Amino acid sequence: MQLAVNIVVLASIYALISCGYVLIYRVSRVLSLAHGELMMLGAYGLLATAGLFAGHPLVAIAVAAVLALVVGVLVYVFLMRRMTGEAVLAAVLATIALGILLRGAMVLVWTAQEQRPLAALGWTNGSVALGPDARISMAALTLVLVTAAAYLGLWLFLRHTVWGIRMRAAGQHPLLAAQRGIALHRVYALAWGLATFTGGLAGMLIAADSGLEQTMAVIGLKAFPAALVGGLDSLAGAILGSLIVAGAEVLLIHYVDPLLSEVVPFLVLLAFLIVRPWGLLGSKEELDRV
Amino acid sequence: MTRTLPASLALGLALALAAVASAPVRAQDAYVVGVSAAMTGPQAGTYAPVIDALKAYLDHINGKGGINGKPVRLVIQDNQAEPSRAAADAKKLVSQDRVLILINTSLSSTYAPMVAESKRAGVPLYYAGAVCPNETFPTADPLQFCSTAFSANLDSQAAMQFIRSQAKEPVRVGFAAMAIPVARAGIEHAESVAKSLGMTVVDRQLTPPPTPDYTPFATKLKEANPNWVFSWSPWVSQIRTFEALRRLGWTGNYVTWAHNNAEDELARIRDPGLYVIGTNALFQDDVPMHAEIRAVTHRADLKYPATYVTEGFITGLVIEQVLKATPWPPTPQKALAAMNAVKVDLKGLRGGPLEWTPDNHFRTRQYYRVWRWDPARNAVVRVQDWTPLDVKR
Repeated sequence: MQLAVNIVVLASIYALISCGYVLIYRVSRVLSLAHGELMMLGAYGLLATAGLFAGHPLVAIAVAAVLALVVGVLVYVFLMRRMTGEAVLAAVLATIALGILLRGAMVLVWTAQEQRPLAALGWTNGSVALGPDARISMAALTLVLVTAAAYLGLWLFLRHTVWGIRMRAAGQHPLLAAQRGIALHRVYALAWGLATFTGGLAGMLIAADSGLEQTMAVIGLKAFPAALVGGLDSLAGAILGSLIVAGAEVLLIHYVDPLLSEVVPFLVLLAFLIVRPWGLLGSKEELDRV
Repeated sequence: MTRTLPASLALGLALALAAVASAPVRAQDAYVVGVSAAMTGPQAGTYAPVIDALKAYLDHINGKGGINGKPVRLVIQDNQAEPSRAAADAKKLVSQDRVLILINTSLSSTYAPMVAESKRAGVPLYYAGAVCPNETFPTADPLQFCSTAFSANLDSQAAMQFIRSQAKEPVRVGFAAMAIPVARAGIEHAESVAKSLGMTVVDRQLTPPPTPDYTPFATKLKEANPNWVFSWSPWVSQIRTFEALRRLGWTGNYVTWAHNNAEDELARIRDPGLYVIGTNALFQDDVPMHAEIRAVTHRADLKYPATYVTEGFITGLVIEQVLKATPWPPTPQKALAAMNAVKVDLKGLRGGPLEWTPDNHFRTRQYYRVWRWDPARNAVVRVQDWTPLDVKR
């Protein structure tokens, strides 16, 4: 039972992070390699708002979440929009540069000292029993629920709202969508905003569970294989990919060797790249275009 | 116009030449010490406080008139824990800044290029707050020195002896470490010591850096049913494994290395089963030097709490003592001679003086204390006072 809980928690972490990769790629065909840093920035944002709104943790969380969304929009407006018309590689390189810049800036502002956003909110991270032989921390439980809510919300948004449909249209055929009057830059900005919002939530919840320090950005990259295994343009694929990668990781830690946990996501990724490079639920033609 | 242009050009050249010429002159007016450290990047949390504190301490010394009437100039380069940057730093510090001593405060992967430059130029290399390489232990490399608190093998030995002394029932010990070479070496040594002390080793978990969730590792460790766990790694790995174990309901005792944030963390976690073992006194011990550290930290407006900076102050005390014994005009050779015979009174920050000899550039004796949180007193308390271990070949 504990193993199942561990798989669900790790899969939720990967899924919440990787939906940011998928949202941006699906709409603009850009792979954001600054996603880990933006995720970390979301966590530092929570630390900042926890200090600003001391005694009002829910306000602090809400403001931090909105800030994450705004940061994503600003990244698009001030950086990625300038990459329009350039080669995809240039846009990817721009995200790498952004990541390096953000990492340096975060050290300057918050130092490299380990931080505890949950304690700054005045909360502690207890654990609850799930049956006789399994436990889960409150932060991890919240992360699982938030991941489920985020995916449900995104599904509803993409299926049933005007902006969601515009976003799907822009992802499927940007030229046609533009000719039909869809403001592509607004759609792209929204995609970046939503991706940074979900990434920021992931950062906040991981930091709430185990603390915040500079290596968090690397965790963002560890979720990347899950997105690729599922298919880079499929949100459902991101969930499936996360479950596969997390399952393999947890089971190998438990039954074989904990050291394998570092390489297994990339072994799974390599296997999929050989057998099915567009991922489990990804679109074959999309990758052909890349 | 035709006259003014060459004139301004000549003036510019003259100023540039004057600036170049004055640089070595300025350098000779001070004791110059060069640092290549991970001031930014993922590892900065461990290393940057050491150098920030060292700078604050040396500013404090300079404010009191310097050493032997001369100021100390610290040239700090940020290597971001990258070997290529460390190589460039070492070259620049030696050839351009003409430093007397090179300091490395970074990951061990940055050592090789600095060792090469140190050997080429004959400048001593001092590891401060970074892992002490084997070359600093007897029989030491002539140019490499170390004052860092921790040492994988000695710490493991001290921790296992502590567990042995505390355990009232047969010890089933588990180990946890980050999957990096130095931590693995420490844990492997701890395993062999544990076996030699009659303990049963039940499991060993190595976590990759970084890990998004430590629970899967803790689950495996808990299932092995240890009554003691020892972890020797970067603090993140040590404490996250412990917290994951507790959330899973594990009730045993956990011994881990007292990194610079250990005191604050003991107070945050408030768990009487969490022990930290270390060689630097905690502020709870309240030695007179702690008041000075607090004052200097406050005056320098350091980004880190005073409890984080002891290692940097110890480095400052060592540099101060070495330079005092380096007659003017200083050269790397004179500094090296001073380092080979230095005995630094650490004023209670450690259990005894730090002494380097020609064949021992680590220290001749290492002292360990152990602390934990005491719920009854609502404070961090000392569980074991300074216990010496001789450093032998």
